[in-house]
Amino acid sequence: MNRLKAALPTLGLAMLAFAGVVAVLATGPLASSPDALLAALFGHGPPDAELALALRGPRLLAALTCGAALAGAGAGFQILFRNPLAAPDLLGVSSGAGLGAALALLLGAGTALVQSSAFVGGLAAGGLALGCAALTRSGDGRLALILCGVVAGALASAGLGLVVIVAEPYSQLPTITYWLLGSFTRATLAEGLFALAPVCLGAAILLWLGFRLDVLSLGDEQARSLGLPARPLRLTALAAAALMTSAAVALTGIVGWIGLLAPHAARLIVGERAGRLIPASMAIGALFALVIDRLSTGFGPAEIPVGLLSAAIGAPAFLFLFIATSRRS
Amino acid sequence: MSGLRLEGLVAGHPARNGKGFRLPALDQSVPPGAIVALIGPNGAGKTTLLKTLAGLLPPLAGSITAPRAAYLPPPGAVEAGFSALHVTALGRSHLRRWSSGLAPADLDAARSALERLGVGDLADRPFDRLSSGQQQLVLIARLFVQDAGLCLLDEPLAMLDPAHAQAVEAAIRALAGEGRIVIASTHHLPFAARADRVLTLGTDRVDMASPALAVAPDRIRALFGVQADGCPCCGRPLS
Repeated sequence: MNRLKAALPTLGLAMLAFAGVVAVLATGPLASSPDALLAALFGHGPPDAELALALRGPRLLAALTCGAALAGAGAGFQILFRNPLAAPDLLGVSSGAGLGAALALLLGAGTALVQSSAFVGGLAAGGLALGCAALTRSGDGRLALILCGVVAGALASAGLGLVVIVAEPYSQLPTITYWLLGSFTRATLAEGLFALAPVCLGAAILLWLGFRLDVLSLGDEQARSLGLPARPLRLTALAAAALMTSAAVALTGIVGWIGLLAPHAARLIVGERAGRLIPASMAIGALFALVIDRLSTGFGPAEIPVGLLSAAIGAPAFLFLFIATSRRS
Repeated sequence: MSGLRLEGLVAGHPARNGKGFRLPALDQSVPPGAIVALIGPNGAGKTTLLKTLAGLLPPLAGSITAPRAAYLPPPGAVEAGFSALHVTALGRSHLRRWSSGLAPADLDAARSALERLGVGDLADRPFDRLSSGQQQLVLIARLFVQDAGLCLLDEPLAMLDPAHAQAVEAAIRALAGEGRIVIASTHHLPFAARADRVLTLGTDRVDMASPALAVAPDRIRALFGVQADGCPCCGRPLS
């Protein structure tokens, strides 16, 4: 009974995100009723509903996957580092993925290859940060991880700068710039589903870690004193969060602020415990991505890159949340 | 619960660039249920010794035979935003290493431990919002839940007002009353005088003695280099 009560806010948020999906599909130029869409999902709906699903399905999937993944990873990082400024790019993962994508674009690769390259680039940057941090011998490894993440991110950014310099300015450079600003529109359904697998794996690991993340947030010494193997657990959690971030950035480009903003909003509703904070953050992140995707088409004929919108809306929203939280305590 | 045996134990930090730190070797045994006060000047290595006994630092030499140990840092050192009940229930983590989550039984154990120490009403308050004294009682409740045979407390009475210091001392006695060994570092000499034994950590020697012997004014003068007829911190007559 108590568990059910504790899960209610998260369930409510998830249902809100689901209602958002239905609302997006049921409005606009390709509006379809929910039952027509449901029929279309199983392959025997009216043609306009099938068209709406085929055109908007991949985009919705990309937005939801990206939002949930970045928010879940961000919540994981904030818990592990006990730092409200921790974000999914803490280990340099986003920059690494950007470099991977830019390199593939420079070589003229297709979408699938660009995404794979971005995914590998993100994991490589995260792996570099984790590997370097393992070489240090500072007492609590958190500072080492943050510093090594900064180093990995800086190296990837330098590489990205080099790619931008050598890119052909009239054809390649706009493509790279546009990719880096983020978009939910370029992924196909297959690519979205492909990215969903690592995101689900990472989320499952973080959710299983649950109370173990709470123990880790007390610091290595407390975790070991409570009988948990601190280092392997933290490494697992970081790898899971890096996996989710890499998959999200590979799918949609660099969409900032969701990973920072969503956990803060979720914390106001469900509190600090990882088992509640991570699913609630993922629901809020998905909802936020849905909203900015909707807004990106809302102004004029050209779409605004979602990376720009998420920053333009996310930064003031974050400030508002921060002020609200600090006034409450 | 079993006792504690130290054979030639050397605690310290390994020498790096010639800046090592070694405590004198310890050969001691402590029976179950004993309260040992650990006294000595700042920098003598009390925390290092406690962490070595807890298995958080590797010993430089010798061996430790001990029941499962738990280490508690000084009041105010543990930060957590979740409820006092959850902090307490995390004491059962070692039993749930591979399970999907804490069990309802863990929450029941945490609640009754908090109630036992008279802080049951704090269960749903965020740990961050409690006073140092309340936090310390919650963390000692976690030691009960954790059920470690060897409790290593780093300055458990530091920063506490007299009422909380009294409550924490009573909680320490309750820990020992169930057969656990409690080793607590302290600068509060009246507490040391009431312990079962006192482990004195000087700059060049370490020895275990009865409280009456260990906190005699001349020993305290020699250990801390102060002129004192009573406790140097509160002035109360010793032993």
